[in-house]
Amino acid sequence: MFVTVFALIIINKAGGLIYNRTFHEGGLNKISTNDYLVLAGTFHGVHAITARLNPLHPPTNRTSTTSSTAAAAAGAGGAPGTHLTRPDPPSGLEVLETENFRMQCVTTLTGIKFLLFTDTTQANVDLAIRRVYDMYSDYVMKNPFYQLEMPVRCDMFDRKLASYIREINNR
Amino acid sequence: MVVYSFYIFDRHTECIYAKTWLPQSSSASDNNNGPTTTTTGGTLRIASADDAKLIFGTVFSLRNMVRKLGGDDDAFVSFRTAHYKLHYYETASSLRLVMLTDTATLSMRNVLHQIYINLWVEYVVKNPLSPVEHKGGAGVKNELFELGLDQFIRGLM
Repeated sequence: MFVTVFALIIINKAGGLIYNRTFHEGGLNKISTNDYLVLAGTFHGVHAITARLNPLHPPTNRTSTTSSTAAAAAGAGGAPGTHLTRPDPPSGLEVLETENFRMQCVTTLTGIKFLLFTDTTQANVDLAIRRVYDMYSDYVMKNPFYQLEMPVRCDMFDRKLASYIREINNR
Repeated sequence: MVVYSFYIFDRHTECIYAKTWLPQSSSASDNNNGPTTTTTGGTLRIASADDAKLIFGTVFSLRNMVRKLGGDDDAFVSFRTAHYKLHYYETASSLRLVMLTDTATLSMRNVLHQIYINLWVEYVVKNPLSPVEHKGGAGVKNELFELGLDQFIRGLM
């Protein structure tokens, strides 16, 4: 099992790039920070579109069912805001595969996107990205000097992340 | 394996062919969606012209993104969300074939390549009555191509 993690990108809920780091040289092309910012914005838009393209559940249907169930719940004396059947939350792009790399995207409930670029042999990327999210909550969100939605500059996060990714890449 | 829809875009970024298939297996589980679903539409969203535009926009942006990161020879193969998977194949003449399937499907790159070789080249390119540019889908919607494609996709499902 040789998973090589090439890079990590974190995008905030407005589509701005807040963290970007390359771990493995030669995996991805070197592009400028400006290009990374453009890439983050583009991906944010594409992610929103892919959530809408779902061929199975029509978006108009979903709003009508939620309103009708809400009305039914209110009519039956239920607490307002409780839904009997909750439709599947819309889900945007999760895995992108190309000839040279594979990108896994996890969107947190707060709307932050973690993009992990690995090589094409896939194994346990879910686990790795979960771990990165854990580290983000531990070392970035708990940092009292970190301002929300702003670029991540936390030494502790950098160090822990580097040692975790090194562990994966040297396995 | 379920194929939801299939699109062809020409080198002028125009959608020259679009076709959707109704899923049979998932209809029972999704029928409790409310009274708004019509019998003709089934559970599949009625594909509009906007859908093709959105799909092309997505595919085009992702292709450029992938080229920027992976180098000019890199090609975007597929992406997956929680609900569907989109497969992409681009020929040397910038003809783009896109297919939407369920998430469990493995890579359909070779299938799209087969459609290009065995159906597109045979029935559209070699058709002497077909125009060179397929404006508005002219020359693509011929009987042999439609029939061959439908049979091929139904054979996969």
